[in-house]
Amino acid sequence: MSNDRTPETSQLQQFIQQERKLKPILLMTHVVYGYPSIEDSIRLMETLLESGVELLEIQFPFSDPIADGPSILNACHKAINHRPQLDHCLKAIESFKQRFPNSRILLMSYLNPLYRYGLSKLVKEAATGVSGLIIPDLPLEQAEQYRKDCELAGIDPIWLITPDTPESRLVQHCEAATGMLYCVSRRGVTGKTDSQKEDSKQIPTTTVSLRDYLGLVAEKSTVPLAVGFGIRERHQITMLQGLADVAIVGSALLDAYDNGGLRQIRQLITTLRGKN
Amino acid sequence: MNNNGYYGRYGGSYIPEILYTSQQQLLKEYRQAQADSSFQLELQQEMQQFSGRPTPLTPCRNLSKLLGGAQIYLKREDLNHSGAHKMNNVIGQGLLVKRMGKKRIIAETGAGQHGIASALIAARLGLECTVYMGAKDIERQYPNVFWMKQLGAEVVPVTSGGQTLRDALDEALRDWTDSHPSSHYLIGTSCGCAPYPEMVAKFQSVIGRETKEQSQQLFNALPDAVYASVGGGSNACGIMLPFQSDVAVELIGVEAGGRGTKPGDHAVRLSNNRAETDSPAMLGSPGIAQGFASIFLQDEQGQLQETHSIAAGLDYVGVSPIIADLAEKNRLRMIAAKDDKVIEAFQLLLRHEGIIPALESAHAVAGAISEIPQRPKEQNVVINISGRGDKDIFNVASAVGDPEFDRFLSRYLDQSLKT
Repeated sequence: MSNDRTPETSQLQQFIQQERKLKPILLMTHVVYGYPSIEDSIRLMETLLESGVELLEIQFPFSDPIADGPSILNACHKAINHRPQLDHCLKAIESFKQRFPNSRILLMSYLNPLYRYGLSKLVKEAATGVSGLIIPDLPLEQAEQYRKDCELAGIDPIWLITPDTPESRLVQHCEAATGMLYCVSRRGVTGKTDSQKEDSKQIPTTTVSLRDYLGLVAEKSTVPLAVGFGIRERHQITMLQGLADVAIVGSALLDAYDNGGLRQIRQLITTLRGKN
Repeated sequence: MNNNGYYGRYGGSYIPEILYTSQQQLLKEYRQAQADSSFQLELQQEMQQFSGRPTPLTPCRNLSKLLGGAQIYLKREDLNHSGAHKMNNVIGQGLLVKRMGKKRIIAETGAGQHGIASALIAARLGLECTVYMGAKDIERQYPNVFWMKQLGAEVVPVTSGGQTLRDALDEALRDWTDSHPSSHYLIGTSCGCAPYPEMVAKFQSVIGRETKEQSQQLFNALPDAVYASVGGGSNACGIMLPFQSDVAVELIGVEAGGRGTKPGDHAVRLSNNRAETDSPAMLGSPGIAQGFASIFLQDEQGQLQETHSIAAGLDYVGVSPIIADLAEKNRLRMIAAKDDKVIEAFQLLLRHEGIIPALESAHAVAGAISEIPQRPKEQNVVINISGRGDKDIFNVASAVGDPEFDRFLSRYLDQSLKT
């Protein structure tokens, strides 16, 4: 199926490309809204934005996050106890956008809370502060209306691809992609990985090497590539330089926060940046 | 159902991208197997030779007389090997796993019936088996856990969330995202992403096909009504779908009324039976979770809610998209039975018919009992006894308050601690 409109480079894509002229790789950090409390999660987000992360991924918690491992699952369940409200979360994001113009914010959640809120309504309202939306349980073929809504609102729907994604399907995703592509580095859920067994020497992938996988994606895609799942350490990020534009750190950040609060977070960001 | 696995507005496939290839492979293999006569023959043979099918349709003369209404017949899925209808599904999916050449199955279980059935078929077919089970359910159904382990299955307690069936399902899905090239997710009910609802319902529909034939033999007509308990919905789909186009046959699903209508006290997703639930409207609402669109118990922010039932197999937060659709189209009428009514029905069946139903199945009995006295004597109703109640000995003993049972347990414990 040919697309008669040539996709314009989105603002998110422009931002990433602009930043990449200055840096070998960008950092996207992942935070769960409402964990450990609504206020503390806001403070955590501010800390990350103050430390200059280029992209902040805010997860609106859902009771049944099937793509998430123990760290994020636990954070989501604790966050839900504080009865997080999606509209409050959007307001917080809007204020960040004004206060931190040098970063971009992506909203991530599972379909049900967004569906409950009204997916079209959410896309429209999110546009004031959110640059991209990540919904891991919304596959491309169920997303016709969502894509139209996103295009109208000027938000990028961020698609996930994996090392197991067949090439024909990869091409479909690359054609649909705007903003950036979220390349899942391996099988399984977020967080706890084989990398712990392997002493974090590598980013674990499946049958194909990460280099081959990202190489193939880069060949098919015109948008920046972000890589996530199992990234915990500086040398993993160094390894991604030249292969990807954005390194995504999620569970490792949560674990650092649980161990040593905001101080540990600042330290981790510095370490990940390689500025120590 | 349409090609994308939708039943009306329910069903579909909403899964993490990593599962796409395995989901497509399953879809393809299932379609091919459906059209393959040798697969169908093997399926039939296994159901006969391993599970003991066909299961009988048992007339309940005493209970029918006692209630003074319609004539009652029980479809005896409790007589399957493993003691529940769950066997039908695992035989079907087990043979598919062999066909796909995978070496391991992952299963979730609530009451433990599907866990047992999965462990049995894994042992028979030489497959590895990992069963995810909520830590709370493990407490309620330890005898089943014991047998799963004896059969060689690994039982993984799930300690997140409410620690019941829904959490076990999440965890099984997480395992599958990691292990899908070599593992099959053997889901136990007609929920999950396409083609699971269709496939599980199809393997279970042997119940309804037999019931149809046996009804003709026993009372020379189709039943006037069919009652089944509804947790995820697989036993209900199994007995009801073959009657779907026989519009004269009334279909009634019975869900877990639990202790009351407060969130966390029940698993009433669809019914609005005022007498049983004191509820003016459906308690569940449309949602998309665990891979499919259906009716879920959730709060206004879309967070899934905790549930309760005296029967661990019925406290599921969602429901089969097939059931949700049939209920929405008014082909299926949903009612609920509360815990105390379930225990009463359970005791009636024991005392008057000499049959020990699972507490899950006792919901169907309770639902039927609430309506049968109002039905004319000429009517014939079938109740699906989805499983047997041996596993519920601890819960029933505590619900009926038998002090001797507790004394026995403490003597047994003293004895075994000494040795």
